Amino acid sequence: MAIIKAEKTPDRSAPLFETSVIGWLHKNLFSSVFNTLLTILMLYIVYLTVSGVFVWGFADATFVAENRRECYDNSLTGACWAGVIHWLDNIFYGRYPRDQIWRINYGALLLVLWMAPLWMSRVKGKVLVGATVVVFYPFIAGYLFSGGDKGFFMQLMIASSIVAFAINMANMIAGLTKSLGLNAFIIQMLGQTNAPDKTQRNILLLLTALAFGAAYLWQMGWTVEGVSWTKWGGLFLTLVISGIGIASSLPGGIILALGRRSKLTVIRVLCVSFIEVFRSVPLITVLFMATTMFPLFMPEGFVLNKLVQVIIAVILFNACYMAETVRAGLQAIPRGQYEGAHTIGLGYWKTMGLVIMPQALKHMIPNIVGSFIGLLKDTTLVSIIGLFDILGMLRSISKDVPWIGLHKEPLIFGAILFFILCFSMSKYSRHLEVKLSAGKQH
Amino acid sequence: MTDETSDKPMARVRPKEEFNFFQDQRVRSAFYQILTAGIFAWLIWYLVSNTAHNLEVRGMNTGFGFVNSSAGFDTDFKLIDYTPGVGTYGRIFVIGILNTLLVSFFAIILSTILGFFIGVLRLSNNWLVSKVALAYVEIFRNIPLLIQIVFWYIGVFSLLPVVKKTIDISLGTEMLLLNNRGLYMATPILGSLFWLTPIALALAISGVIFLRRKAHKIQDTTGMQIKTLLPSLALIILLPGITFLATGMPLSWDMPVLDGFNFVGGTSVPPAFLALLVALSIYHAAQIAEAVRAGILSVNIGQSEAALSIGLKSSRVMSMVVIPQAMPAIVPPMISNWMNTVKNSSLGIAIGYSEVVSLFMQTALNQAGYAVEMVGMTMAFYMFVSLTISFFLNIYNKRVQLVER
Repeated sequence: MAIIKAEKTPDRSAPLFETSVIGWLHKNLFSSVFNTLLTILMLYIVYLTVSGVFVWGFADATFVAENRRECYDNSLTGACWAGVIHWLDNIFYGRYPRDQIWRINYGALLLVLWMAPLWMSRVKGKVLVGATVVVFYPFIAGYLFSGGDKGFFMQLMIASSIVAFAINMANMIAGLTKSLGLNAFIIQMLGQTNAPDKTQRNILLLLTALAFGAAYLWQMGWTVEGVSWTKWGGLFLTLVISGIGIASSLPGGIILALGRRSKLTVIRVLCVSFIEVFRSVPLITVLFMATTMFPLFMPEGFVLNKLVQVIIAVILFNACYMAETVRAGLQAIPRGQYEGAHTIGLGYWKTMGLVIMPQALKHMIPNIVGSFIGLLKDTTLVSIIGLFDILGMLRSISKDVPWIGLHKEPLIFGAILFFILCFSMSKYSRHLEVKLSAGKQH
Repeated sequence: MTDETSDKPMARVRPKEEFNFFQDQRVRSAFYQILTAGIFAWLIWYLVSNTAHNLEVRGMNTGFGFVNSSAGFDTDFKLIDYTPGVGTYGRIFVIGILNTLLVSFFAIILSTILGFFIGVLRLSNNWLVSKVALAYVEIFRNIPLLIQIVFWYIGVFSLLPVVKKTIDISLGTEMLLLNNRGLYMATPILGSLFWLTPIALALAISGVIFLRRKAHKIQDTTGMQIKTLLPSLALIILLPGITFLATGMPLSWDMPVLDGFNFVGGTSVPPAFLALLVALSIYHAAQIAEAVRAGILSVNIGQSEAALSIGLKSSRVMSMVVIPQAMPAIVPPMISNWMNTVKNSSLGIAIGYSEVVSLFMQTALNQAGYAVEMVGMTMAFYMFVSLTISFFLNIYNKRVQLVER
């Protein structure tokens, strides 16, 4: 006789030892005597560090004071954040005229708005959005930041930037509301969906031209006062240098990387030596080269200001690192892609532009973010050659009479600021990496 | 194999290529290369002629003759003899190079040890330990090195006690003294018979190697394990120790002694050196830790499981199975980190450490004004270091690739 249990035995829950908090603690912190000792030691170290930092930086710290003496009167053992708070505007904007700071803020806001569609999944035409940021934003931002008289070329570019921005925003709204690209949306609105392509294109071109005309007339009406680059400084200057650096070094890096993989010997040798020379020397030597040798390179009477010299140096230096990033991205593309493109009769530039680069760039995004972090950190070097970037500003607090000798707090504030910026970006690039590799087919 | 292949292959007739000058690949490639070379040559000529003209207009001297002319400034830290006014610019260049190499050398050693340690801690089973290691890595990686260097200099080593209140960090023997002028170390003075002691040490080491080999051989043939640790230690400590005592302790110390307002005697390094060393070591340890972690993770988990299943202790699994296999993945990023250490030591310029950039490219250039030559020489030095290191890295990579399965 067999006893057969008819109903299914209920699932037993996992042993408490495995799932409960105690189980976790036992497994991860107290699995052996040695581990227990290690845990206790670490806890002690963490406690010492955290409590020390807390007492110095918060509990005993002075946040409101007029000068360093008052900080000492308040407490001798705590940090004196009052000096940093006093200088906050300088740390962020340098010596930019105080009544003009809105221009920097607006410029930053413009960039954020402009780039926002890149993160919206429903918006179409992201490549164009990215391209317009790189091509047009520098002109309008450059004018916002430096001001002065607009030449004819500058007026044209500003008008184009305004049009590009407006189209971008309209495209974002069209994408968010109807999940359509802007052109499809307009055609639909005008009821021309069935019109021949040529008519559709003419309508769109006409609208763009009208918008350009309107923008041109509008921008003639306003000017902002000139602010010399010597007044630029603080985090603003750091971001300007690294932003221009990363935006310009990407195309430079792509060209150098393609040159390095080229079959044409002369081009390859030139690119390889250029890349290797700049990669083997420290950035500070390139910066010194820029400030001492660029003036000699220029024809007589042609003077580059120091900011331009520095930016050129940063671009040259960073393009070489970017070239290596791009090369790594290109190497990740399987041979079959090149061969496939070749078979359907695409030439070199079409193969690269339509088949290889779009795939490679997608994989490179995390590394590009990584090199942007590196560049952002490296930009602090410009303080050595006398620009007042964020580190230069932080270091000059200790030379300000009321705060004389206040060294540590500004540096720690700068360190925290950089940590927040760089850490969040590196987390984001890690996230991108996971997201992009999840969609990978092979 | 299909039937067709067994047939005699038809003689293929190559379609006759028509030579079209504008469409031919060779012509095009030659054209583009000549074009590039032409543009490049023109650019070089343009820059050179501008430079020559500018130098002439400004009345600046050129040529490498300045290397032998005397420099009028002094440096606070030098490894070779130099007197301002007598020593040449060439000597200044050598002093700078030596200072760069000195700080890089010690920073590389310290950061490698610390980096390995933290990288292994990062993979610890202990949750807290791995999180603390992670915090270390993330904090020091995401703060610009220059801020760290300046912080260590201004916030730590400049705030040390003044000379009168020097700290003794060698437990009361006064051999290592730290104050805000730097670190003062006692220097050993070797006696006449001291050379016997290193010889004894060398003998002891070769004895230990011999012992180990023998133990290995015995284990290979009989399977018997012989403990070699204690005898080796005894040999290494006792033999040189007895020699040292028997020759009458021929070693004395040149101690740093307070004389007036400063210490004399011994060797000293300035606070800038210490700050740069500490900052470089800590920053690069974080980078190396990540390389070590990635390398260890690249080893297939089956390797350590297999090692555990044949009964090895987890520490031995790490040292005998995992790390040796992880080395090919760890070494290349680590060496490029060493290269970065040498390059980043140039940031010593921000705190006044007299390394090659600050000494030669800044001070000497401001004094003598041979911009092109001095910038070129300094860059050539860094290129030489990089090329040397990547040369050895390539040799290593080739060797590793051979044993790879």
